[in-house]
Amino acid sequence: MIQTIAFYLFATLVIASGALTVFARNPVHSVLWLILAFFNAAGLMILLGAEFIAMLLIIVYVGAVAVLFLFVVMMLDVDFAELRAGFVRYLPLGALLAIVLAVEIVFAIGAWSAGAINMGARIAPVASDVSNTQAIGQLLYTRYIFLFEAAGIILLVAMVGAIVLTHRKRGGVKPQDIGHQVRRRPEDATRLTRPESGQGVEL
Amino acid sequence: MIKLIVFLPLLAALVAGLGNRMIGNVVAKAITTGALLTSCALSWPIFLAFVAGNASPSVTPLFTWMQSGGLDIAWSLRVDTLTAVMLVVVTSVSSLVHIYSWGYMDEDPDQPRFFAYLSLFTFAMLMLVTANNLVQMFFGWEGVGLASYLLIGFWFKKPSANAAAIKAFVVNRVGDLGFMLGIFGTFLVFGTVSIPDILAAAPGMAGSAITFLGMRLDTMTILTLLLFVGAMGKSAQLGLHTWLPDAMEGPTPVSALIHAATMVTAGVFMVCRLSPMFEAAPVAQGFVIFIGAATCLFAATVATTQTDIKRVIAYSTCSQLGYMFFAAGVGAYGAAMFHLFTHAFFKALLFLGAGSVIHAMHHEQDMRYYGALRKRIPLTFWAMVAGTLAITGVGIPGLAVGFAGFWSKDAILESAWAAGSLGVEGGHLAFLVGAFAALLTSFYSWRLIFLTFFGKARWTQSEHIAHALHDAHGDHHADSDHDNPPSQEDAGHEPAQHGPAAAGLSDGTGGYHPHESPWSMLVPLIVLSIGAVAAGQVFHHVFVDPEGGLAFWNGSIAFDAHLAHASHEVPTWVMFTPFVVMLTGLWIAYNNYIRDPGAPARFTAMFGPLYTFLLNKWYFDELYNVIFVRPAFWFGRLFWQRGDVGIIDRFGPDGAARAVQGGSVLTGRLQSGFLYTYALVMLLGLAGLATWAMVRF
Amino acid sequence: MNHDMSASLLLVAPELTLTLAGLALLIWAAFFGDRHATGISIAAVAALVGAGALTSLAPAAGGNAFDGLARVDAFSTFAHVLIYFAAAVAIIIAPRFFRAHTPGGHGLMRAEYPILIVFAAVGMGMMVSATDLMTLYVGLEMNSLAAYVLASFIRTDTRSAEAGLKYFVLGALASGILLYGMSLLYGFSGTTNFAGIAAAMGADFSGGLVFGLVFVLAGLAFKISAVPFHMWTPDVYEGAPTPVTAFFASAPKVAAMALTVRVCIEAFGPTTLDWQQIIIFLALASTILGAVGAIGQRNIKRLLAYSSINNVGFALIGLAAGSEAGVAATMSYMAVYVVMTLGSFLCILQLRDAGGAYVEDIARMAGLGKARPWLVGAIALFMFSLAGIPPLFGFWPKFLVFDAAVRAGLLPLAIIGALSSVISAFYYLKVIKTMAFDEAPADAPQWTAEGNAVETGLIGFTATAISPLGYLAIAPLAYLSGNAALALFR
Repeated sequence: MIQTIAFYLFATLVIASGALTVFARNPVHSVLWLILAFFNAAGLMILLGAEFIAMLLIIVYVGAVAVLFLFVVMMLDVDFAELRAGFVRYLPLGALLAIVLAVEIVFAIGAWSAGAINMGARIAPVASDVSNTQAIGQLLYTRYIFLFEAAGIILLVAMVGAIVLTHRKRGGVKPQDIGHQVRRRPEDATRLTRPESGQGVEL
Repeated sequence: MIKLIVFLPLLAALVAGLGNRMIGNVVAKAITTGALLTSCALSWPIFLAFVAGNASPSVTPLFTWMQSGGLDIAWSLRVDTLTAVMLVVVTSVSSLVHIYSWGYMDEDPDQPRFFAYLSLFTFAMLMLVTANNLVQMFFGWEGVGLASYLLIGFWFKKPSANAAAIKAFVVNRVGDLGFMLGIFGTFLVFGTVSIPDILAAAPGMAGSAITFLGMRLDTMTILTLLLFVGAMGKSAQLGLHTWLPDAMEGPTPVSALIHAATMVTAGVFMVCRLSPMFEAAPVAQGFVIFIGAATCLFAATVATTQTDIKRVIAYSTCSQLGYMFFAAGVGAYGAAMFHLFTHAFFKALLFLGAGSVIHAMHHEQDMRYYGALRKRIPLTFWAMVAGTLAITGVGIPGLAVGFAGFWSKDAILESAWAAGSLGVEGGHLAFLVGAFAALLTSFYSWRLIFLTFFGKARWTQSEHIAHALHDAHGDHHADSDHDNPPSQEDAGHEPAQHGPAAAGLSDGTGGYHPHESPWSMLVPLIVLSIGAVAAGQVFHHVFVDPEGGLAFWNGSIAFDAHLAHASHEVPTWVMFTPFVVMLTGLWIAYNNYIRDPGAPARFTAMFGPLYTFLLNKWYFDELYNVIFVRPAFWFGRLFWQRGDVGIIDRFGPDGAARAVQGGSVLTGRLQSGFLYTYALVMLLGLAGLATWAMVRF
Repeated sequence: MNHDMSASLLLVAPELTLTLAGLALLIWAAFFGDRHATGISIAAVAALVGAGALTSLAPAAGGNAFDGLARVDAFSTFAHVLIYFAAAVAIIIAPRFFRAHTPGGHGLMRAEYPILIVFAAVGMGMMVSATDLMTLYVGLEMNSLAAYVLASFIRTDTRSAEAGLKYFVLGALASGILLYGMSLLYGFSGTTNFAGIAAAMGADFSGGLVFGLVFVLAGLAFKISAVPFHMWTPDVYEGAPTPVTAFFASAPKVAAMALTVRVCIEAFGPTTLDWQQIIIFLALASTILGAVGAIGQRNIKRLLAYSSINNVGFALIGLAAGSEAGVAATMSYMAVYVVMTLGSFLCILQLRDAGGAYVEDIARMAGLGKARPWLVGAIALFMFSLAGIPPLFGFWPKFLVFDAAVRAGLLPLAIIGALSSVISAFYYLKVIKTMAFDEAPADAPQWTAEGNAVETGLIGFTATAISPLGYLAIAPLAYLSGNAALALFR
């Protein structure tokens, strides 16, 4: 009973905050709504018994991604009002499209008589005596190692890409080159002269 | 050797045609002429071997052309007596014309092209006469048609030449359709297109019938009539003759080669080649007689009124072809081929002689502006006289001496009478028509001679001469128009009627000095003169004599020895008729143009309608214009503007193009560059696909 | 599991090699920077060649790697070789282009370019051997991320930056659609494995699976730029640096097409009649729009973008047949298409004016025929081949796909395809006409004849391959593509 109530609470809040993310006028508010949506999604995960995913959502998405978004939104001076100017114009068509797709999906899934996900058909049924986190870890580093490593490469590519696109060599700056400093010998920098008196030194 | 004969001209044509300006005039001319002379030199031994009787027919296979089911067409060269005759005719006349053209075309800027066409024509003609199957013959047939088209329109800057070329092509197309249907039908009936096979099977087919559109029709009659339609087109027989006079727009050597000696006789050749088929179809033979005789008469009557020297000879050709056809129709194929043979020489001679006159008279072709040329161009004069003696058939029947035409034409007329006596329907009538035509032939031929070479000079009226007198140089030669003919009522033969302009210059020469043609033109004239004088005398016994003919032809045509015998035993009056009418014609011409120059005008006045009728060539062109040309134009315009532009273009290509263009603009507009548009299109597509899948599901 | 692991690693040896090479090159680049860009490029090409050679290790009967996450067979090998070839060409043609795009034209190429291409190639390799939705997605994203960066590689050029951004946003949308479809498939079949999905579809084809199918196909259609998911193509092709455009038009197209084929045949096999409808629609829309849209284009790269849309449509006709012959035809088509399209881009890369700037405006190319007759001859060859005009090899795969379609009873599809190829012939010919026959405008560029032996050689090679001599390759091509198709229908 309490589970059902919790589910509907979280589900309603996810949908509502998701909608508000889209509709909020202030971009900072949008991000805040997004964080709320993540929290509620985490709640749904816990209800499903996937506590690791729930924690991941909060740590990674709320703690890192959403906060990053927040910073970006606050730091970039983007005129969101202008960006939204076209929004109303395209709203009817966009809404229609959304409704059509939604109705079709509901219809399609409503026609599904099986009722529940067939858990037995899962490829890697998890032994019940293993904790959630441990089970994921076991799968991730054995069976799905190929994809896990590939995902790592994807992140690497993204990083390289970000550097390529943003890193700039600034001309006219004098960075400290320690190797150069260390390599320098006294004879490169100093000169001994013995000038005759009254002659002066030629520099 | 036969390969060499046939393919040397092709090779030369390719070299001259493709080399064109690159190799220069002299090289092109030398190559083509040399090739033709070689071919000619190689052809005569073959012919003489057949004459001597120590040669047998042969077939030289070249390679397979197409093979499909029962249809097996190979390129091969057939040489038998008939081919040998054609070989010498074609190569001799062609090489002489090549030589003649050195002089005649000397000032033309496009000589390599001209010589290439001439050689190409010769090649096609040789393919035609050496064909061993109907399809190869058709190849040659179309090849000569093409060359004829190219050569008639050789001076393509002249609108009238273009029109004449198109006319020749289109009219020939009608005939070719018949020929093609004939070939298809023959293949349908005989199951082969090989000529020997067909001829062997033809007699057995006589009397068989096929059903077409519910009618029972005699097979051989249908086939031969269709084939004969092809012959009519190529040989300018009545009904399909209208292109030949117009074809005179081409250079004169072309007229001599193609439109007198060789190509136009292809029809006769074809009928002779397929003579066993015709023998099996008496109805078709009757038709051939009728058409031949009618053409013979028609063309001769028209020739009496024409004033253009080349047109007179052109109608004369038409008329002579009529002789050949009715000879073939009555079954005297030997006589037909004999006339073809001799005619080639004297008609080429007449054309080349006319060319020489035209050359001398600065491209003036109207005989009314000639006169008194005998002394100025004596060699041409004598050559023309020789040709005229030959065509009018001068000879003494009792003594068996005479010019070429005497032998061949008399053989035809006698054969016609003899055939009539033997029961061939129309034989006697053909004889009478032929005799009357011989009278007319004599008249118009001598009229040509008298108007051109005798009487007073009437040159001042000619625009061409006036040009020549005004422009010291002569670069109007090649393409000067002849677009201002004298009006019809003025077409009389009376120099005095030409108006007061002549009065100023009493002698009528206007100070112009015609010059004899160069030797390159005179030599062919001399050679052909010899042929015109002697060809009949020398070869008559092998061509038409009962015993000699049978041995000579050796089955290459359906030679009827019985008929040949009969033709030698006709009544004496029949034998003398051609002689008498020839003299009569000569006398009338002499009377009208030398003795009493006012006579033609009086005659014209008396028989005004008849004269106009003849002058307008029986109104054939006008008739065709009303019956075929105008309705065709009307239909053409209907289909073009309503059908093609209005419906097919509008909804077809133009509509499609417009739709594509519109689509392009639309896509361009859709490609706005804005992200949300792109996303929207993607989502629309997704929604569309999903809906569709949903509905299907 | 251990001996399994080593066998699996052996099967994905090309990917491993490339990944390791990519990492090593990255370190090289980090230490020595752009000065060593040329050396890194050469090493990258060598790595691609080596990886290509390693594909020959694939067992003839095919083998499953990582418990069904990937499958290496004749089909994946065929696609691998094509992808590596295209990627290598994309690296080879780059240095000269990027030099021209630095101030003064004497600068260096960024050393990351070949590395990104190598990683993209790893992703594409995963795509074509994927037999699991997750492998599919990971490979696709690896390729896509590299592609987004490559599209905006000249970040000082606003067009390039715009291209990258557009590609990224729309690509993200497409990934979203794809993921949504995959989640539906997973949800309704309980597995992400292709064979498992096929089994579930065969047992009970429910509405959820239909939607999963539609969404997955839509996501893949974005990658092959099939209409209506093509909108990014002209803009990105125009904006991206030309070597990158050449890369986009070749390797990822092959990868995505191969992936689509494998998904359709292996995962959606039991529901051929359903996805066939969608593929037919995509094919028709692509051929027609690709042909019609190109007509108004003035930029040669934009024109080739539409050309690639058009060609993808033709390749899809083969897939639409749903038969083994159809799949073989599609793979043959992609092989020939890659050669033709790379050749065209190679030629475009030769079009530089005296200042070294690249000319992309078709109208300005008028009169090029007089200045660079050989080059225009080569372009004419490629255009005629793209148009599918018979004596050239471009005709052959078109014939194959039409033949497959007709045999599968899709006569109307083949007819409409042929008609649209007539329309497309128009703009190909227009390009040739402009270059070869039009008078040079007053502001015509002074064309430089400065050549590059390697590029000229590549042009010569591709031109020979699509010339009538290419017909000599029919037998091996038919053998290889036939084997590839057979591997899917095993």
